[in-house]
Amino acid sequence: MAQLGRLESVLRAGHFAVCGEMGPPQGADKGAILKKCGNFRNVADAVNLTDNQTAIVRMSSVMSSVFAIEGGIEPIMQMTCRDRNRLAQQSDILGAYAAGVRNVLCLSGDYMSFGNHPDAKGVFDLDSVQLIHTVAEMNAGRFLSGDEMKSPPRMFIGGAANPFAPPMELRVMRLAKKVAVGAHFIQTQPVFDFPRFERWLSLVRDQGLDKKVFILAGVMPVRSVKALLHMRDNVPGMTVADEYIKRMEAASDPKEEGVAICVEMMKRLAQTPGISGVHIMPVMWESITPRLVQEAGLLPRPEPPAETSDAAIKDAAA
Amino acid sequence: MSAFTKKFAAFVERHPTLYKMVLLAENAVKKPALNCQSCGQCVLSYNAFTCPMRCPKQLRNGPCGGTRENGRCEVYPEKDCIWFLINERATKLGREKKLLKFHKPVDRRLQGTSAWINMWAGRIEGMSWSKDLEEKDVQPGGSKRDTKS
Repeated sequence: MAQLGRLESVLRAGHFAVCGEMGPPQGADKGAILKKCGNFRNVADAVNLTDNQTAIVRMSSVMSSVFAIEGGIEPIMQMTCRDRNRLAQQSDILGAYAAGVRNVLCLSGDYMSFGNHPDAKGVFDLDSVQLIHTVAEMNAGRFLSGDEMKSPPRMFIGGAANPFAPPMELRVMRLAKKVAVGAHFIQTQPVFDFPRFERWLSLVRDQGLDKKVFILAGVMPVRSVKALLHMRDNVPGMTVADEYIKRMEAASDPKEEGVAICVEMMKRLAQTPGISGVHIMPVMWESITPRLVQEAGLLPRPEPPAETSDAAIKDAAA
Repeated sequence: MSAFTKKFAAFVERHPTLYKMVLLAENAVKKPALNCQSCGQCVLSYNAFTCPMRCPKQLRNGPCGGTRENGRCEVYPEKDCIWFLINERATKLGREKKLLKFHKPVDRRLQGTSAWINMWAGRIEGMSWSKDLEEKDVQPGGSKRDTKS
């Protein structure tokens, strides 16, 4: 008997999925992760553990994912191509799977110049599409070299998509490539520009990609108009509709308004054809997650079967 | 590549001076005009004759999520995102379909070698002049891998 990941079983059963996200600590304290896990337990089906996000050194996403399991949540281990070559990536995937990690999100990675070691050498041996291909090969029992392995992992493979950066047609092309080489699910940048998101999604639907891969739309609760302006002006590839900036400016209690905007977006996405779930990115505000999920009407979370037979897993993989 | 080009490539590779001359000729064409990064496994014909290795992250399969609204690179705001350029040129040349090809991981051993000789030797996939994807360009797994159902 093998265990199918919670996220995968929730999605395959046709439920609307909820993912969270947390950053590992900038220190060697495992307790920091266990504490944050409390914000997501029974609230999110799985939680992203970021891999040195914005190129700032933190505890490794592999070990943080293992600690998250200890903390009672299912991790989605992020893996960038910035810090590891193909050998390290494959060996980390084997180790993580052996420790119980079932989901991996394959990313290129933020460039070193954005972080706290701008003098570092970037690896970028593979790109994110090639990394998805690599994990798919490993699932099939082969290393990237073509050598066969005895006990292959069975990762649920994720990729990212940014619907908001130009040129839009190329965004859809890249998504199609990720699907073709074996991505199972896709997480997007936070949606603050629904019309643009809709345009992207209609191109995705035209190609039938939403039928081939689970698309989890990103949302982000913001606490101030400053945070929103930062997203618009300083995060390359992000767009924010003026409507939300005006609302945040006018609000007497910006925190409440931020929650209201986020919940509205979650409800809207849950009604959008082609969207299989939401991915909540509460940067430095993890404690708000239970309230968001509750108010969006997505609680209680479906309980996946505790054990899945190997035959069922084979069916799911076919 | 044909048996003749393979023989020719092997001949050139046995003669270092000749190899250097071919490499010099190749670089004379590619470096000034295309800002060639000498990866030794050219994918120009798939990317509207614009080299994706110029991307700071060397992304060969499409742009990262950081392309700015004005089409500039997230790392070097004064430069164009190379994939933004590739898309523009591909549209102009009618070569958009070529962008769909999945490019396998780079063979780092070929860095600094001649892509022309590697092509003649059959070591890398050759240039592809047609505007459509050919049979050999179809992704591994391809449409067979319908992951959701």
